[in-house]
Amino acid sequence: MKFLLRKIPFEAKGLLVIAGVAFILTGLVEDYQATQWTVWVIYGLLALSLTLVWGKGGIFSLGQVAFFGIGGYAYGVVGVNLIHTTGESLSALVAAGLLAALFAAAQGFFMFYGNVGDVYIAVITLATTLVLYTFMLSTSGRQYAIGIAYLGGFNGMTNVPPLTLFNSFLSQRDLLLVTIIIAAAIAFVVRFLLRRPFGRVIAGLRTNELRTQLLGYDTRRYKLLLYMLGGGIAGLAGGFYAAWGQFISPTVFSLSQASLAVIYVLVGGRASLSGAFAGAILVEGLSTNLSKGGTEATPIVLGLVMILIVLLLPTGIAPALATLLKRIQIRGGKIETRGLSPLLEEKFLSKTIPTASAFRKNSGRLETVELRKTFGGLVAVANASLTFDSSGVYCLIGPNGAGKSTYFNLLIGRYKPTSGQALFAGKPLNRMPIFRRVQQGMGIKLQVVSIFTELSVFENMWLAAYAISRNSLWAEQQAGQLLERFGLLQYADEQAGTLAHGQQQWLEIGMVLAQEPSVIMLDEPTAGMTREETARTAELVRELGKQASVIVVEHDMEFVRLLDAPVTVFHQGQIFAKGRLEELRQNEDLQNIYLGRYRNVEVK
Amino acid sequence: MNLDQLLNQLLTALTSISLLLLISIGLAVIFGMMGIINLAHGEFLMLGAFATLAGVRVGLNIWLAMLLAPLLVGLFGLLVERLLIQFLYGRLADSMLATWGLSLIMVQAVVFIFGTTTQGIPTPLGNFSLGQYSVSWYSVVLILAALLLISVVFWVFKRTRYGLLARAAMQLPEMAMSLGINTRRLNALTFAFGSALAGAGGALLAPITGVVPGMGQAYIGRAFMNVIIAGPGVLTGTTAASGLLGTVEYTASYVSTPFIGQAALLIFAIVLIRFLPTGLSGRWGKQL
Repeated sequence: MKFLLRKIPFEAKGLLVIAGVAFILTGLVEDYQATQWTVWVIYGLLALSLTLVWGKGGIFSLGQVAFFGIGGYAYGVVGVNLIHTTGESLSALVAAGLLAALFAAAQGFFMFYGNVGDVYIAVITLATTLVLYTFMLSTSGRQYAIGIAYLGGFNGMTNVPPLTLFNSFLSQRDLLLVTIIIAAAIAFVVRFLLRRPFGRVIAGLRTNELRTQLLGYDTRRYKLLLYMLGGGIAGLAGGFYAAWGQFISPTVFSLSQASLAVIYVLVGGRASLSGAFAGAILVEGLSTNLSKGGTEATPIVLGLVMILIVLLLPTGIAPALATLLKRIQIRGGKIETRGLSPLLEEKFLSKTIPTASAFRKNSGRLETVELRKTFGGLVAVANASLTFDSSGVYCLIGPNGAGKSTYFNLLIGRYKPTSGQALFAGKPLNRMPIFRRVQQGMGIKLQVVSIFTELSVFENMWLAAYAISRNSLWAEQQAGQLLERFGLLQYADEQAGTLAHGQQQWLEIGMVLAQEPSVIMLDEPTAGMTREETARTAELVRELGKQASVIVVEHDMEFVRLLDAPVTVFHQGQIFAKGRLEELRQNEDLQNIYLGRYRNVEVK
Repeated sequence: MNLDQLLNQLLTALTSISLLLLISIGLAVIFGMMGIINLAHGEFLMLGAFATLAGVRVGLNIWLAMLLAPLLVGLFGLLVERLLIQFLYGRLADSMLATWGLSLIMVQAVVFIFGTTTQGIPTPLGNFSLGQYSVSWYSVVLILAALLLISVVFWVFKRTRYGLLARAAMQLPEMAMSLGINTRRLNALTFAFGSALAGAGGALLAPITGVVPGMGQAYIGRAFMNVIIAGPGVLTGTTAASGLLGTVEYTASYVSTPFIGQAALLIFAIVLIRFLPTGLSGRWGKQL
């Protein structure tokens, strides 16, 4: 028996419990209470959709009610048309969710594929809601009819049918029961989904979008999917809302309605699924009690709540309480000590290089032909033609502003070239976004440490491995192995942001290696390292160069000397010299560049 | 198309462009100079309209009331910056949420004071005839007022000491601070200036719209989109965006209804942002 119970996922058990409680509850409540509670749960579902999109995905959507309203109208229009022909309205509810998701897809496409910034997303979503509001107000004419359903302008649709189940109308209590069960089912499905790889990637892109792209994920698509899911849930809630009141009007698109959705989430905590429902019920309960007094002070109180939460409790009321409790518990706990940097441990290198596996991409030659980048009138990279073989270490050096970093960014796809070509294994790279280059076998580490600070060390490594394999199990093994090799296994469950700076560097290098890239791109990998760490890194890079092509942008001449690799010198956007470091040392022009005697140097 | 018809259409188009500029220039100054989106902008417009209404009610000349309204809203903006905004610099989402809360409070406070009934000020100046068309003088006033506000913004940022400092602080805040510029005071002034511009916009709206506490809602959707399409360039961007979006709205309204015109503006703006994610002025650099 116990064994059987353990096999059922937590979500299913939770749903059963909630359904049971709801069944008993709805048998006990008065009708007017059932009516009130139903709408609270519906608002909770709306809040859940916002929590998913904003709290979990970091998409600052202020216009979540747009989807709620679209769902409401969709239910109204489809329901009115259906009820006279098929006699049921359940499929109208499905239509509500689908239409809202579709609308979210259209809006999201332009926002996410346009790479619009956060403020802009907030403003676009809110403005969309307001335009829907004005538009719906104008639909009072008889010509605004879909089938036999009139949109009704300011007065809205007043003849929306109630929800049917098995071809009979639901009573108020039954509607409450159905609403609770469906809301709980959605919440548990969302919870389940967030624990799947999809959810981990979403958490990754919320924490560090650039790193997620650098690991090879198409973040635009993930955001779009999440936004559609949120839109669909909000639409479903809107459908329930229209069925509940048998009425839908443009006020669902109003600013005050839009602000309510945000307030529920603020009160319940931005990233808490159960908090969404708690927030909605708390705020609605408060509003009901406030308006009993006769004067309409609710907006003032809600406005104050919004301001105070933002100023004093940005994480929300419930999570703030939880943190407080934790703080009391932790007081008097021990301080953990950190081990030595793993690169300094013996026999580190021999264990570090991953063996080739099924997911390793075919290596090929990376080359650029007359690659050029200008910013306004400034020529940052002038017609650079270079070839990197499928194995070996290559150094790009040059003084500040020489163009080596611009060249690096052209290779990884952060900049688009003004003219010229970059080719990888014969394929043109120019129009290829970052994530696709990574999928082709590029591994990229930027100068500044870029990891998912809010995720666990293990999750960081897992996201890297999963990106190329799309195989959760393999990714777990790979992540475990690399953590062990880099001596980070003991920190696997800790937040990556709590690691020491050096350890964060190793973690990121490990993440790049977990992807088994055939071209490894490192931008100043030794920045901020001690001499000894630099030496170890050089050994590591040389070892990697036996299997893959390693391109290193570096300032530190000592490091370059240790790498003992062909060097390309950039100067004023041009490739100034190529060769071994010893040869280049004899070059007087080069000494002039590095000593700042620019005046004597003519670029040939 | 006759000459009088053409002139009449041209005047109508110019009026919608000017209106768009009037309702968004205050928002644009605050967004462009401080990077903050003031979600209570619609209520700042509303406050400007009510200030004008109150002025006329106590017997002031309407033009004088319109001149005083921006001063009042500017002062209110200063207060808001000191009490609220100054704690939220660098917290973009939070500043939007807090100003949203402020907007809820402002609407309800005005309901308490003035009630919810629609009040209006008769449109001053009357009409003149353009061939067979009768045109309101006030639409000419709106066009001139838009030009005047652009000039004021240009003058303030290009010709005053404050403007120079503000532009410096916008481009490199840390550098400005290390040069000893008091960015705190600068921010407060910029917010107040933007608020005053919003107040001016609201004052000019008062004679052509129903003055109600919730009136801001009818305008901010368009004002937001205008500022987004404008991008970081306060003057150049906002003027260009008003011209573009105003033309789109006017054309769509002309062939159908004003509501469709507003919807067309939004859809056009969302599609445009897909290709110009930093707005029209995004590529011009941080210029006025």
